[in-house]
Amino acid sequence: MARLIKTEKEVEGRYTEQWVVVEEDEAIDQWPQGPGTVVGRPAPRQDGHARARGQAIYTADLALPGMLHAAVLRSPFARARVTKLDLSRALEAPGVVGAVRPDDCHVLSLEPPFHGAPVAAVAADSESGARAALDLIDVEWEELEPLLDPEEAVKRESLLEDPRRYERGDLDAGLAQADVVVEAEYRTQTVLHNSLETHQSVCRWEGDTLEVYISTQYIWGVRDSIAGKLDLPPDRVRVVCNFMGGGFGAKNSPGDYTYIAIALAGQTGAPVRCALTRREENLASGNRNSTIQRLRAGVRSDGTLVALEGEYLNAIGWEGFSGPTYGPMEMLYACENVRTLTYGAKLNLPPNAAFRAPGFVEGTFGLECVLDELAARLELDPLELRRRNHADHDLADGRPFSSKNLLECYRRAEPHWARREEVRASSNGPVRRGTGLASQIWYGGGGPPSYAWIRVGSDGRVTVVTAMQDIGTGTRTAMAQIAAEELGLPLDRVRVELGDSARGPYASISAGSSTTPSMGPAVRAAAADAARQILEIAAQRFDLEQRVLSLKDGNVVSANGGSWPLEEVTGLLEDAQILGKGARGPNPTGMRVLTFGIQVADVSVDVETGEVRVDRIAAIHDVGRVINPLGAQSQVEGGIIQGVGHTLTEERLIDPASGTVLTQTLDAYKLPTIADVPEIVVELLDIPDEHLTNLGSKGLGEPPIVPTAAAIVNAIRDATGADVRSLPVGREEMLRALAEAREREKRAPAPA
Amino acid sequence: MICQWQPSLRRNRTRSVLSLKINGAVREVDPPVGRTLAETLRDDLSLTGTKIACGEGHCGACTVQLDGVPVLSCITLVHTVGEREVTTIEGLRDHPLVDAFVRTDALQCGFCTPGQIVSAAALVEAEPEPDVERIRHAMAGNLCRCGAYPRIEEALLTWRD
Amino acid sequence: MELGNGSVALAGGTDLVPLLRDRIVEAETLVDIRRIVPRGVQGTTIGAGTTLAELEVDPEIPQALREACSLAASPQLRSMGTIGGNLLQATRCWYWRLKFPCFLHGGDRCHARQGITREHAIFGNERCASAHPSDPAAALLALGTTLRTDRRELPLEELYRLPTEDDRNVTALEPGELILELEVPRPEASTYLKAMDRTKFTFALVGVGAARFPDGVRLALAGVAPIPWRLDSPDDLERATPLPGTAFKVELARPLIRRALEAVG
Repeated sequence: MARLIKTEKEVEGRYTEQWVVVEEDEAIDQWPQGPGTVVGRPAPRQDGHARARGQAIYTADLALPGMLHAAVLRSPFARARVTKLDLSRALEAPGVVGAVRPDDCHVLSLEPPFHGAPVAAVAADSESGARAALDLIDVEWEELEPLLDPEEAVKRESLLEDPRRYERGDLDAGLAQADVVVEAEYRTQTVLHNSLETHQSVCRWEGDTLEVYISTQYIWGVRDSIAGKLDLPPDRVRVVCNFMGGGFGAKNSPGDYTYIAIALAGQTGAPVRCALTRREENLASGNRNSTIQRLRAGVRSDGTLVALEGEYLNAIGWEGFSGPTYGPMEMLYACENVRTLTYGAKLNLPPNAAFRAPGFVEGTFGLECVLDELAARLELDPLELRRRNHADHDLADGRPFSSKNLLECYRRAEPHWARREEVRASSNGPVRRGTGLASQIWYGGGGPPSYAWIRVGSDGRVTVVTAMQDIGTGTRTAMAQIAAEELGLPLDRVRVELGDSARGPYASISAGSSTTPSMGPAVRAAAADAARQILEIAAQRFDLEQRVLSLKDGNVVSANGGSWPLEEVTGLLEDAQILGKGARGPNPTGMRVLTFGIQVADVSVDVETGEVRVDRIAAIHDVGRVINPLGAQSQVEGGIIQGVGHTLTEERLIDPASGTVLTQTLDAYKLPTIADVPEIVVELLDIPDEHLTNLGSKGLGEPPIVPTAAAIVNAIRDATGADVRSLPVGREEMLRALAEAREREKRAPAPA
Repeated sequence: MICQWQPSLRRNRTRSVLSLKINGAVREVDPPVGRTLAETLRDDLSLTGTKIACGEGHCGACTVQLDGVPVLSCITLVHTVGEREVTTIEGLRDHPLVDAFVRTDALQCGFCTPGQIVSAAALVEAEPEPDVERIRHAMAGNLCRCGAYPRIEEALLTWRD
Repeated sequence: MELGNGSVALAGGTDLVPLLRDRIVEAETLVDIRRIVPRGVQGTTIGAGTTLAELEVDPEIPQALREACSLAASPQLRSMGTIGGNLLQATRCWYWRLKFPCFLHGGDRCHARQGITREHAIFGNERCASAHPSDPAAALLALGTTLRTDRRELPLEELYRLPTEDDRNVTALEPGELILELEVPRPEASTYLKAMDRTKFTFALVGVGAARFPDGVRLALAGVAPIPWRLDSPDDLERATPLPGTAFKVELARPLIRRALEAVG
């Protein structure tokens, strides 16, 4: 039954109130805690063989007949004006079929405001031909003075939005109560997603329908964005993404390359691929912006936090959004007096884009490092300090949590935390070892709408149909597990069709840790609908009341012991089908749906060379019911490894004189290799959130990356006494911090 | 060994068609000089299992074997392949490592996975039971942004199970 | 390396092919020299066409060279790249690689000096701040290697030169000259230590090759100068001329040099 309700929808911390149509039949009870027959048990990816064998066709592999290749002329300057743009010689080059300029496409500009901003593009019958044709574009530039420094931007009020102020309680009164106050500045660097498949799309007109094949995290969102931007009826835009090679937040929207391809496809009448090169990927495809955090924290000697203050400067770039760097400070602990001020600097730098827990990775780093500084001054165990400030309801708005098991996470962290004496004792010569921890808070409740259809044919095999995408997280398999569990089927009898907006109902974005909590309940509801119809037929077939029948292990079973293979019922269908449909219901009203966790890191620091190695990370997260423990473990490990990269080796560098990107290649921008991976121990509480949907599952794509940097840096402090204040912790930063620690020692040596 | 080198330009062949041995089959292609093996495989032979992720030799996604040795096809000029046997992921699709990777979940988005398996297959051919240190040394040239590394290690430690 | 009349020698191609595709090097013809350059190790003679992967596993060659090869690049690159080509590889300086019109490219200033130099030089950096990335070159320099080309023999240090106003090349090969063999003396002990940003597959921040011979210990560094850099003694480190962005490399080199000397006794 369809109802119109008002509900709160959250994506990555941004809450919107909206009217939503939800389907709600009889409430479906959550499954009991613990593994079921299929759900909660490890399941290998259903599309694993296709990917592993190289048979999966990614957007990068698509070759449509007559397809042309686009190459984009991008500004080589941080800020410039194009004073001459003549495409005629380029158009005459052999193989070149079309070219577009700013008049032809809204993403192209004669006033490119950052290095890599697109100005013009050509389409040719080969990629090399298209690139060669760029050299034939007659372009003249007037180089302008760029604004690059975020603090200068704040002074000049070059901001993307008004500064955000938040206050609760009375900060000054809080500081007055404090027995210890720590004030510190923390900095994080600009980090690039660098998914292995670069941003790209292939666009083609088929009559009045625009087909867009794109490496994306949001099929429906891309469809609606394109339709809106180009003033097309949305049902004339078809978006397809069967396999994609990584997103991490950067592929949530069409991107300039898609609009360029559409413009060229319209002009030439041919399909056009526009793919970013790896260098363009490092240039202008989005980033986690750098931050400067000025933090102040006050605590009583019993460990109660009485004051938290943060001034956050997000160096966003030319466009984008100002991330919730303030979030952890406002939400994680039960501190009554909090004040934050957040600026989003508008600069002549490439725009930012969401990157796995935007704002919270950076903010958790600053906050959790300050907490450890407080713990050190108080001589209080850092884990105990976290416990003492545990919040049992959301202090920002007084709401209860739908579920929160952070104290249980802390309890399960104790054995890992208890190893620290042993870890320190294993220090040897110049290599000092230590242990650190950090708490995690993030979103992950998802929300409506999301829909799924289920098709059961006479063979008793089930197909889940929805226009969602599996960006590598394994959501395809998780959805199959949910349907299989509800229908009492073994997993291999369930397949999932996804990836095409023309073939399936609306599915939510694969971002914000929201796919499982958004799509999962819809799939279960659809499966329950199909199950009900199957049992209706079975009741007639076996002349029993429907209420004594259920589905189990591929059979229809009756309460008094009867059991028939499912095919005996579905076989009656012949060409008829059972079609179930389901929708994601609303979120629990008046509650905050969040995820929690803690990570404990062991590190080794060579105090002579400044080399930092992360030896071990124990990750304990509370993310509701776990659908697929195998896929979940991979998500946690993957998030941690990205966190290690963020902490130790990755940094986008800008030349200060020209404002241009220096780290354009994967030798300059250093992603972790297999040799950089610590031992990772994963524990997921797997306690269902009893208030959240028919599953009790939250998302877990982002929680694992949130606390990693802070845990590592706190471990470094434990090992060496050095205060690392900025990321990445390369040799320079580590040697600097070590030298500073030695100076401190000289001036105030530790008691013997 | 001293050899006398005479400066000379490579003689132009009258036949411009190359015969390449790929996955046990002879394939003929006619690429311009300067074309890479990766481009030839993907665009001329539609063997899209081999991926190009950087095109400059920094990530390993394009790894193929030449006479069993893992190399980077994105910076290998196709005219230098000669008589060597090219093995791509398509030629390894029935290798037990494929099942091992799927069983241990040694992939997420899967874009780096063909290159990982090509490198891994060469490793286990030389050392059927590599230890963690050998695995890390042999696989360091295959980047994975999703972070499937611990699972890849497990796949290589347990592939014979 | 240019052979003259628009043709360039191609061996493994791991440096050349990217440079060609980037159009930093232009060539009308590529001459495949793999069959004419000797490959393999015989006694103390190493063919310039021997790959780093082959050297990495050779128990007969000095440890410093073996370790330098093992720590260099990635397995795939080691299988493709020859030792001769490795000696001649170009700097990774981002200004040079991104084709800023810098001194090394024939321009009049070093853009790195006003920019970000964390991967750049602490020696020989008056005109150009680029760093030479080759680990094997530093090891071979410490080992006192002699090169045999198609027309002469020369000590490895004479292969390299700092770029000057009149000549921006960092190598001193004549046009068309090909390195054929390396003569690598056997030391009493040798080692190569490398500090890099990642655990593997990264160019050296500082690489230290040390080799002990009867008449003393030779030291050579990678990643600290536009060319592989010999130190006559560890004290030479204090004569470094770091830039603000490279000062940490002096601090980093000190313990590495000490450890390398300890390792060779």
